[in-house]
Amino acid sequence: MNMPITPQKPAKKLSLKDNYNLLTRGLGWETSYQDMDKVFAQDKFEGIKIHDWDKWEDPFRLTMDAYWKYQGEKEKKLYAIVDAFQQNNGQFNVTDARYINTLKLFLTGVSPLEYQAHRGFAMVGRNFRGTSARIAAQMQAIDELRHAQTQAHTISHYNKFFSGLHDPTHMFDRVWYLSVPKSYFEDAMSAGPFEFITAISFSFEYVLTNLLFMPFMSGAAYNGDMATVTFGFSAQSDESRHMTLGLEVVKFILEQDPDNVPIVQKWLDKWFWRGYRLLTLVSMMMDYMLPKKVMSWAEAWEMYFEQNGGALFNDLARYGIRMPKYHEVASKEKHRLSHEAWATFYNFSHAAAFHTWVPEESEMKWLAEKYPTTFDSLYRPRFEHWREQQQKGERFSNGTLPMLCQVCQVPMFFTEPDDPTKICFRETTYRDEKFHFCSDGCKDIFGNEPEKYVQAWLPVHQIYQGNCFRPGTDPTAPGFEPLAEVLQYYGFHVGEDGGEYLGSLDARNWTQWTGKPAVAE
Amino acid sequence: MGYELTIEPLGQTVTVDDEQTILDACLRAGIWLPHACCHGLCATCKVQVVDGDIEHGEASPFALMDFERDEKKTLACCATLQSDVTIEADIDEEPDAEIIKVRDFEGTVSRIEDLTPTIKGIWIRLDEAIHFQAGQYVNVSIGEHGFSRPFSLANPPATGTEIELNVRIVPGGVGTAWLHNELHVGDRVKVAGPYGRFFVRKSAQSPSLFMAGGSGLSSPRSMILDLLEAGSDQPITLVYGQRVKAELYYHDEFTALSQQYPNFHYVPVLSSEAEGSDWTGFRGFVHDAAKAHFGNDFRGHKAYLCGPPLMIDACITTLMQGRLFERDIYQEKFLSAADAQQVRSPLFRKI
Repeated sequence: MNMPITPQKPAKKLSLKDNYNLLTRGLGWETSYQDMDKVFAQDKFEGIKIHDWDKWEDPFRLTMDAYWKYQGEKEKKLYAIVDAFQQNNGQFNVTDARYINTLKLFLTGVSPLEYQAHRGFAMVGRNFRGTSARIAAQMQAIDELRHAQTQAHTISHYNKFFSGLHDPTHMFDRVWYLSVPKSYFEDAMSAGPFEFITAISFSFEYVLTNLLFMPFMSGAAYNGDMATVTFGFSAQSDESRHMTLGLEVVKFILEQDPDNVPIVQKWLDKWFWRGYRLLTLVSMMMDYMLPKKVMSWAEAWEMYFEQNGGALFNDLARYGIRMPKYHEVASKEKHRLSHEAWATFYNFSHAAAFHTWVPEESEMKWLAEKYPTTFDSLYRPRFEHWREQQQKGERFSNGTLPMLCQVCQVPMFFTEPDDPTKICFRETTYRDEKFHFCSDGCKDIFGNEPEKYVQAWLPVHQIYQGNCFRPGTDPTAPGFEPLAEVLQYYGFHVGEDGGEYLGSLDARNWTQWTGKPAVAE
Repeated sequence: MGYELTIEPLGQTVTVDDEQTILDACLRAGIWLPHACCHGLCATCKVQVVDGDIEHGEASPFALMDFERDEKKTLACCATLQSDVTIEADIDEEPDAEIIKVRDFEGTVSRIEDLTPTIKGIWIRLDEAIHFQAGQYVNVSIGEHGFSRPFSLANPPATGTEIELNVRIVPGGVGTAWLHNELHVGDRVKVAGPYGRFFVRKSAQSPSLFMAGGSGLSSPRSMILDLLEAGSDQPITLVYGQRVKAELYYHDEFTALSQQYPNFHYVPVLSSEAEGSDWTGFRGFVHDAAKAHFGNDFRGHKAYLCGPPLMIDACITTLMQGRLFERDIYQEKFLSAADAQQVRSPLFRKI
């Protein structure tokens, strides 16, 4: 039998966009037996008005099935390189063991944030009404989990050879300087979904992340740490997705309703300042902790924030958004931030899980070149004094505890915007209690949501309140040493993990295992 | 030398130099491809090679996996061509875009008129009609100088045998000086085109707003004449600015059109007209006039901008503050190497 042949034109191939739409927003639905407002109970209380989720422009078009394939392949490649690094004892190819302290600070301070980001994006992915936004957040949640895992492997490797990395999750919840990144992220996670995604995807991932990632990755490359460099490549292909998500989120919110503009501006002000204060730790990594330096903090700030961020805010001005409040203070601080921070950690090095040291003469020369208006006049004399004391066998350390800022939780060592010789103190009274701040930026943040920040878990306060001792400790027992007990509570190996680098266990092992000097020439 | 690159789903073809990347060639041809890092690390610019051979260049093995290379994916920011190539990229399809092959045309100068002290209208009768979309441009060969200059077509497509160019003399410019001083009626001229992706989104069926200034009137004029001739019943508004009345070329034509077509609104504006002249229209800049005319609310429009960069910039800001955003704003963009080096945020794609 002859079938009639009806020549049919094959359907036109779907464009990537249409194809993606069918596989994402095409899978969403309006709930019928439950009110949508009950299903998505958290996407209205912040005051953000969304009229049309269909106006969401997908910043990237990656479907879940393709996502698994890509990420699986990335993992294979990354672990192959990490394995090779381990088999070849790559950790001994870094410049010297001082470099490892950068890693310690990153791995104990930032890696747990990857896990927090995973949790945060999982939360956001649950709470947005728009399907595409939910899927983008869901993918990022999985990315962040992958990054956290990858870094856990790095920690496990370096922990075999160097001190201070034996229990990062335990430390993250307790140690004074780690409360800076921890409280930053918990502030974001305890906000609503729109504030979280503005804070993390836009203010952090988009505006500030280059300041964290670039120096860290380039620093690793300069100092011979190829495992970290490889991790960087593997993560960067995810980060670009995260950054475009940040841009799209902010555009989308701003375009949906003019009432959203002042809310977003307030968040940008807040999260710029929160993020900038967090980057204080990065400034001292760049200027003091990398034995071979990439660029100075001031240069990085100029390039990544003043130039690139400036161009971004020029464009955002069209939406009625202005530069974040106190950006000019950050620019005033760029010539002193790292010096003030490193000096503080030098003071309290015995209570930290990484080492500190006085910069070598050659490094001081570099610092003087990079900071011609401040280093020789303000900071060099102090380092020289400490070096002399150390040579006399009296390495300085500060036996008291620093006062912390109620908001950023950084010790209050920052100086007045217009006077780098005067510590900046701000305070306010709320419900008959006094609260202290490092800056106008942090004070304003407190002033906008005092109910939130009075609950801050400030490590120094907690120590004084007796909450940072192991169970069963008797502070009234004769010979009780509070500081030693606190370090036990932190889970530190007292005498190994922190303190002066020269003569430390790390430095001695380094020389013994590699035959190289503890401080590279 | 170089090869031909066809970009799907547009079907548009561009020429790519030997060392030039796919991304660079596309951006220069006005075709926006998604991109971010521009050096092979982030994979934002990944495209599918449908046909032909490419070299992957410096693409990172994490950004472009081995299995993707097997599937003939590549990163546009690093890839160079080894043959004529067709790619499929993540580009929004434009239902109103016509794909018209670029061709070479020859014609004879039929008329030259002074439109203003600095702008000449040049009419060229082509040997064969050119098919184009209102808003597109042609490259005009500058005599024996061996180079060409782009000019938007000021006539509507319906009059395709005789094309009209409005040429402002650029101080020190060889090309415009030649067109102004050495070209005469009866001379033979070579043009190539049509180029560009500036066209009216007719299928949107929404009111359109044209903002023009300086010598940027050509495309909007072609587009408006085309819309009116086609019998469009959507509101059409032209906000058109010059410094002084003497420069406001085609003022009488637009005034007449606004009387003839009830859906066409004409808002002329002068920025430096002498106080006390008989000018009764708006004084100020194009964006000010538009803001006043629309009461700072541009929602629901499609806006088409043409004019000097400062005017474009001010207009975009005004439109956005009046709640009209990137997806509804169109402009012709000529990208030069200098533009590519500018520090720009990736917040906006097209504007």
